Amino acid sequence: MAGPEAAASVPGGGPAIEVNDLTVAYREQPVLWDIDLEVRPGALTAIVGPNGAGKTTLIQSILGLVRPAAGRIRILDRPIRDARGEVAYVPQRGTVDWDFPTSVLDVVLMGTYREVGWFRRPGRAERIRAVAALEKVGMEAYQDRQIRQLSGGQQQRVFLARALVQEARIYLMDEPFQGVDARTETAIVEVLRELRDRGDTVVAVHHALQTVPEYFDDVVILNVRRIASGPVSEVFTEENLRVAYGGRVPFLHAVSDAPVADLPES
Amino acid sequence: MSGLDFEIQLLAVVVSVACALPGVFLVLRRMALLSDAISHSILLGIVLAFFWVQDLNSPILILAAAATGLLMVAMVEALHATRRVKEDAAIALVFPALFSLAVLLISRYAGNVHLDVDAVLLGEIAFAPFRRLEVAGHDLGPRSLWTMGGILALNLLFMLAFYKELKVSTFDAGLAAAMGFSPVLIQYAFMGLVSVTAVGAFDAVGSILVVALMIAPPASARLLTDRLPLMIGLSALLAAISAISGFWIARGLDASIAGSMATAAGLVFLLSMLLAPDRGVVASLLRRRRQKVSFARLMLTIHLLNHENSPAAPEENRLGHLSVHLRWSPEFARQVADRAERDGLLDRGEGDRLHLTPLGREAARHFMAR
Repeated sequence: MAGPEAAASVPGGGPAIEVNDLTVAYREQPVLWDIDLEVRPGALTAIVGPNGAGKTTLIQSILGLVRPAAGRIRILDRPIRDARGEVAYVPQRGTVDWDFPTSVLDVVLMGTYREVGWFRRPGRAERIRAVAALEKVGMEAYQDRQIRQLSGGQQQRVFLARALVQEARIYLMDEPFQGVDARTETAIVEVLRELRDRGDTVVAVHHALQTVPEYFDDVVILNVRRIASGPVSEVFTEENLRVAYGGRVPFLHAVSDAPVADLPES
Repeated sequence: MSGLDFEIQLLAVVVSVACALPGVFLVLRRMALLSDAISHSILLGIVLAFFWVQDLNSPILILAAAATGLLMVAMVEALHATRRVKEDAAIALVFPALFSLAVLLISRYAGNVHLDVDAVLLGEIAFAPFRRLEVAGHDLGPRSLWTMGGILALNLLFMLAFYKELKVSTFDAGLAAAMGFSPVLIQYAFMGLVSVTAVGAFDAVGSILVVALMIAPPASARLLTDRLPLMIGLSALLAAISAISGFWIARGLDASIAGSMATAAGLVFLLSMLLAPDRGVVASLLRRRRQKVSFARLMLTIHLLNHENSPAAPEENRLGHLSVHLRWSPEFARQVADRAERDGLLDRGEGDRLHLTPLGREAARHFMAR
């Protein structure tokens, strides 16, 4: 399934993910309001927006984990239930109990559970793939460690390895850089670029605005509504960010020389 | 040991192990108290089914009880979802309602049958061997041993078959859902299993102590290992040990067997908490002590370095002086100096004078530079 044709994205050249009129509400309170979105295949896309903008909810809606009030989501032109094998999910690191009694290799093996299927257990072939995924993120020496002994950066790499072992074509990541050290950040970016370069699609919720132009090709700027989406060079403008963040975009002052300010005010 | 004693102990072990197996995941899912709620609310199912079939040994009772357990879980979730109460309050509101309804029904309508309130609360494992299972005139042993053995087998099968699904949905429900393993389905199947186990254990140890058998052995095992398969095995082993020692405690004290089993399980937990190799109280005290000496040793090298070239050095750098300058007890000072000397950081001169070795000097500088 990892042949070059498979990597060459979608039949008919459509978007990797298509979201139409998506509205999600918790108790009548809209969290996402009428979102239209197309995610380009073979690109790195960031989702940015202030706290409470609905970034995690958007990812979870795409995965079918929350029930939308309205709207339609297609993945590679299929509904999510027919596309689960194409999608790998990296939840926020803080959503799981890292004191759980299990080893690094075991967590990575969880990435194979879907294809292994109900009742059956992962075998030798899955183990070999899991170790290879750990090598990709530089964690193979830790495969027998208990997960409670890992640092934050190591935890995030293990999560990334667990997504890699799924051999998906679309990777949905919730804050993969949250609370990691600089070395881990570089390592993760390298892996994401590798995925993109072989034609896979990566969508990541991202917090540090100043690294968006360096790390990502496309960006979705979100605050309950979709403020803008498209190539970073076109839509990652101060104006759009001000709309999303309500005029307070702290980093803009700090990096006034960064690509954002280079952009013509269009 | 009579045949009767043997049968009681065998039953105690089977009940305890059957409870401890699902208990592992109850502990890991932080649902320990929900098992207490289940073990109480199933009584309503037992009572209602008994009114219907008029037979305490009917398997209908087990099914009805398990159904009430699931109903209780669903009611807790529904009440919690209204956001008018928190989850712990929802549990505390729902299960006493079901349990008290059951107690009311028993005391009003079933006072003259075997289903009395004492037996409900504490069970009576000692009488279990008197209720025999006979098929075509052959005595096959205590009836409850067969029921509980079946439930133990069911638990084993379930956990073997759904080990990976239970594990992933416990560790990361989001991933489990994204991969198409419905965590809700797994949750309810598992709660059903807990309910069935509670019904079986109910007969032997009553509704109050089921929670002890379900939670104490896995909680102990959790302190002893970081590996899930080992945790499951250890839970079963500790459960069996608690059951047998509970029996003999009861024998010695001429007291309730169920109560003694739960007490033994509690003692096993206490021992694990004290003596666990890594997470135990003793281990962490020792670790803290080692760290304290290790840190003090570096403080000592820095102290010696700072005073090394001062005129007062012969006076300052004496073991006896450390209690004044660093406010250490003489005994602690000696211990630290011994350790530092063993590590090659200092030498002892005449009159208890302390000299840094080159290694000690380097260590002190390195430590200060950090």
